[in-house]
Amino acid sequence: MDKPIITGNTMIIPSNQEFLAEVDIFLEGILRGYGVDESRVADIAISVSELVNNAIHHAHHKDTQKTIAIEINKDKEDIVITITDQGTGFNPDDINDPLAEENLLKDTGRGLFIVKSLMDKVDFKITDKGTSVTITKSVK
Amino acid sequence: MNLTDREQNGVVIIEPKGKIMGGPDASLLHDKLYEFIEQNKKKVIIDLSRVDWMNSTGLGILISGYTTLRNNDGELKLANVTEKIKSLLTITKLVSVFEAYDSVDDAIESFH
Repeated sequence: MDKPIITGNTMIIPSNQEFLAEVDIFLEGILRGYGVDESRVADIAISVSELVNNAIHHAHHKDTQKTIAIEINKDKEDIVITITDQGTGFNPDDINDPLAEENLLKDTGRGLFIVKSLMDKVDFKITDKGTSVTITKSVK
Repeated sequence: MNLTDREQNGVVIIEPKGKIMGGPDASLLHDKLYEFIEQNKKKVIIDLSRVDWMNSTGLGILISGYTTLRNNDGELKLANVTEKIKSLLTITKLVSVFEAYDSVDDAIESFH
């Protein structure tokens, strides 16, 4: 697969940062179509970009043959988005605290923390064949 | 994202525009910052007025530039930080690291 595939509200991309902008355009278009305000659009877009980047770097170790699926739904007053990779899984509790003094000036390690700060809910489904991260943001 | 840059009163001002989310666009900002560092520029301002938002990749580029400049007796400061970026800096406690000014002129003034 060398370019994104869109089916309804799901986009599947090759695991490559060159597609980050296309994911963002796809996502923001759907969110605005749902009537989500601009501040929440930005929070959700930031969070999705963090998770897609994590999939590319950490789950797939920049293997561009792997794919990432981004599925966007609205459930009553919640936006629910699931990002699924094809990595071997990780322990979300095994992440260094980016607010700790010794980590404050590190240039990486903040992505998941930012997602958890901006979203109302973050759920992980982790297997050795892939991880799905589902983020939920209320838009009422 | 694209960016422009200029120099005023001995201070380099880098002006990214768009979203800083990673990938080739983020590399543009990183490479431009390090181009000035390699030219031994000591005073750098990032004008964020035209940045819609950034994620941790963008923050990482700012931190990397900040620490590299500091280690070479230079300084990196921010100007025109938008509300969205300010909230990210606050969430990540980086608001205590960066000097931020309401205008590029104020940021330039702070170097003198």
